[in-house]
Amino acid sequence: MKRIQRNPDILWREEDDAVEEANSLLESGGAADEIGTAILFSDGTMVTLNILGTEIWKRCEGMTVDEIIAELLQEFDVEEPVLRSDVAAFLNELEEKRYIKYV
Amino acid sequence: MSEIVLKAPLTINWALNNSCNFSCRHCYSRVDTGDELSSETLKECMTKCAKAGVMAVNFGGGEPLLRADILDICRHAADAGFRVSMNSNGYLIDAAKAIALKEAGFAKIGISIDSHQAEVHDNFRGMPGSHVKALAALDHLKEAGIRTSISTVICTFNFNTIDDLIAMARKHGASQLNFHNFKCSGLGMSNKDELDLSPEQWKNFYKEAMKRKVECTDIDISLDDPIIASLGMRDETAMVKGSVCGKLSLNIKSNGDMTPCGFIPSIIGNIVTDDLKTVWRNSQVLDKLRNKTAKGKCASCSDYADCLGGCSARALAMTGDFNNPDPHCWVE
Repeated sequence: MKRIQRNPDILWREEDDAVEEANSLLESGGAADEIGTAILFSDGTMVTLNILGTEIWKRCEGMTVDEIIAELLQEFDVEEPVLRSDVAAFLNELEEKRYIKYV
Repeated sequence: MSEIVLKAPLTINWALNNSCNFSCRHCYSRVDTGDELSSETLKECMTKCAKAGVMAVNFGGGEPLLRADILDICRHAADAGFRVSMNSNGYLIDAAKAIALKEAGFAKIGISIDSHQAEVHDNFRGMPGSHVKALAALDHLKEAGIRTSISTVICTFNFNTIDDLIAMARKHGASQLNFHNFKCSGLGMSNKDELDLSPEQWKNFYKEAMKRKVECTDIDISLDDPIIASLGMRDETAMVKGSVCGKLSLNIKSNGDMTPCGFIPSIIGNIVTDDLKTVWRNSQVLDKLRNKTAKGKCASCSDYADCLGGCSARALAMTGDFNNPDPHCWVE
């Protein structure tokens, strides 16, 4: 299976306060989908990622899709088919924006 | 995409100096202080900004290449992890300088060019021969492997030359063409009656420019004006609604004073003495810019949610209140 590589032109960072807020919500059983916890930034465009997107993005450096899913299943309380679908949709969007490529 | 208040600016527009070899008729910074930070102080401040989470710096001025330590400053910024870019008039960039700029770590350099016609540009910039040198700078930079852009301030003598400007950018390999809206700051205010467009002219310019942006696949045409939201043509790649000032970016003047943008004179701190993240989080001026109140015709405008009153700097300069409608707005 091909490995994912980030576009080196993309600048990114996590937003510490937002990460803390999202984790706190998740721990209390709440939803954190709408909280932006990381910013991807390149030449005038910006994408805000929620906590799941952030955790996927952090692994987009040399891992395969299956490896990412296996790790995330350890971290998030989610059914594998749902996670697999979410990860695929997210990675497709990143690939369309040329934020990642498969090598 | 949800809008969030970031922990620190993504990018800082940093005036390294205020000295300039040109005398442009729209210059925003001729009335600014001539004070400059020393190399060592600048480097310390950049390290602070990098630690705070800032990801990119764009050097400006003045003409930043007039600083003898520009390469050293760039190296430090690149080593600190910044994506480093610069706006220059290009006059001092020959082939050797372009290679040195590349080696120092510049990822991108924007050259200011106001017309495809040399005479028009030279007259406007107050420097004979500057157009030829600006175009040569684009060529040298491209040859050295630095991405280039052209920055054009739209005004009365160039607003109807979009295709010529695109052709010029294409011929000289610029990857981006930035059409900047005219700011009534500094000499831009003094000369606005001669240089600024009417609201109707702005409307027509943006209609044409947006068409070209869609058609043009080899050059990124950038329009940084939030008032285009009312044309139903808001740039989908725009990062936030309304002005980006104080939401994504911050301006630092040559003496270290921080302002929301280069065209808003409100000083919110100084990078030498103040903590960037504290200023970014607690500044009342930034809070007001991030939470504007619709006034005048904006209060009943259906596009306000997208444009947020347009350019805050222009509204402030022309009316004294950045909550007022952008004077360029054509909506009745």
